[in-house]
Amino acid sequence: MATDAYVQFKNIQFSRSEHIIFKGVTLDIQTGKITAIMGPSGSGKTTLLRLIGAQLQPDKGQILVQGQDIHRLSRQQLYACRRKMGMLFQSGALFTNLSVFENIAFPLREHTQLSETMLRDLVLLKLEAVGLRGAAQLMPSQLSGGMARRVALARAIVLDPELILYDEPFTGQDPISMGVLIQLIKSMNQTLGMTSVIVSHDVSEAASIADYIYVIAGGQVIGQGTPKEISNDASSLVQQFMQGLPDGPVPFHYPAMDLMEELEL
Amino acid sequence: MIFLQQLGSLGIRFCRHLGTSGLFLLRVLMRRTEISKDFPLLVEQIYFVGVLSVIIIIVSGLFIGMVVALQGYNTLQRFGAQAQLGQLVALSVVRELGPVVSALLFIGRACSALTAEIGLMQATEQLASMEMMAVDPLRRVIFPRLWAGFIVVPILAIIFNAVAIYGAYLLGVLWLGIDSGTFWSNMQASVNFRIDVVNGIIKSIVFGFVAVWIAVYQGYYATPTAEGISRAATRTVVYASVLILGLDFVLTAMMLEAW
Repeated sequence: MATDAYVQFKNIQFSRSEHIIFKGVTLDIQTGKITAIMGPSGSGKTTLLRLIGAQLQPDKGQILVQGQDIHRLSRQQLYACRRKMGMLFQSGALFTNLSVFENIAFPLREHTQLSETMLRDLVLLKLEAVGLRGAAQLMPSQLSGGMARRVALARAIVLDPELILYDEPFTGQDPISMGVLIQLIKSMNQTLGMTSVIVSHDVSEAASIADYIYVIAGGQVIGQGTPKEISNDASSLVQQFMQGLPDGPVPFHYPAMDLMEELEL
Repeated sequence: MIFLQQLGSLGIRFCRHLGTSGLFLLRVLMRRTEISKDFPLLVEQIYFVGVLSVIIIIVSGLFIGMVVALQGYNTLQRFGAQAQLGQLVALSVVRELGPVVSALLFIGRACSALTAEIGLMQATEQLASMEMMAVDPLRRVIFPRLWAGFIVVPILAIIFNAVAIYGAYLLGVLWLGIDSGTFWSNMQASVNFRIDVVNGIIKSIVFGFVAVWIAVYQGYYATPTAEGISRAATRTVVYASVLILGLDFVLTAMMLEAW
């Protein structure tokens, strides 16, 4: 790949207690592109996003964000770096004591000195983009799961970040919302020049907008390339995941003793 | 041997928690504050942990004042000393019952809620999302709650003291017939503002600080599950209550110069 990378993983090793999540992952997230990270459940996709945001510390290796080792920055520098990032959490992570409007206004109130009128206009525009302008005064507890994620998306993009990390953005969306979200991610990427990282299980949706795909399994990158290259990848590991086949080198079952043995039959 | 191992492990765990909570407190107190943003948050927390606790403080203070007066009257009248009721109630309430009971009520009413709230924010990734928005959760969430507790507990103790003394007045003077002038003048003559009232307020400042410190620490480091949050809230109530009773003894001994 070209060297114009916004984020670079250099031989990252990461483990939780005894469990090894990454054993030497190297990958590049290209500036201005949409990069999809795919892989089976538990392969460390969300962990990868948290490593980019320096919410987790790798055991070994370096993560460079715009050429800076993000884990060696001072708190002030780290916060300055995070101000250029937006993250859509898997759970939405909305502030339950604030209304939808106030949730989206939160980063603006914290980081800008905008007037109330300007702030209101910006929040309503972002809500309009995700189709929830009418829900501005609702509380998070009054939203469905899909709506909450769209509000979280509006909050993640309200400061127009350079890098946006999406953790399972399509989960829980109906087909109409899914189509709108795909268009929104694509248009933000093209018009605002955002760099996007999408972690997703939804192979067809993610592949339809991604410029580049990494497939992760067993703590390593098992496949990478453009969507076309990935769909033509000869690796049985990659094909099993992309086609959702139950039998193949990626085990469906968590490691366990033989069923018959356990049932004592 | 196993017992010794368990004891050692308990000791190490205790020291680790003590160290972590100390560093946590230091990190919170060292945060750079932004008055324009932090003051409204502080006021909001004072309302939640303080103003909403006033009713329980008033009701409890009234009943405790009346009970102390009733018990005191029954004992004092055996010696014909019922005129000293005002003195007895004022000293017991201002020196001990006010600071201790108001702190215990505050722990039950507000500290457990603080732990559960912060624990739930941790479990639902609200604190993590704040971090990712370059907003420090220690400044935005912990700092105003810590200071709110520090400010409101002495005020709640003063309200408790006033209501408890009024409860004793209602019972002693209006019901049992002690002369009103005797009740108030004996109280005034025996209560020393510096030694009794100020020392009681100092106690409640210490209790408030310790109770909220435990509450926010337990919430921040709670296991992010329903069971973990429930356990953290229980730990807050148990640890804070026991620590306050122990600290009360230590502070009383220091104030009476028994040490």
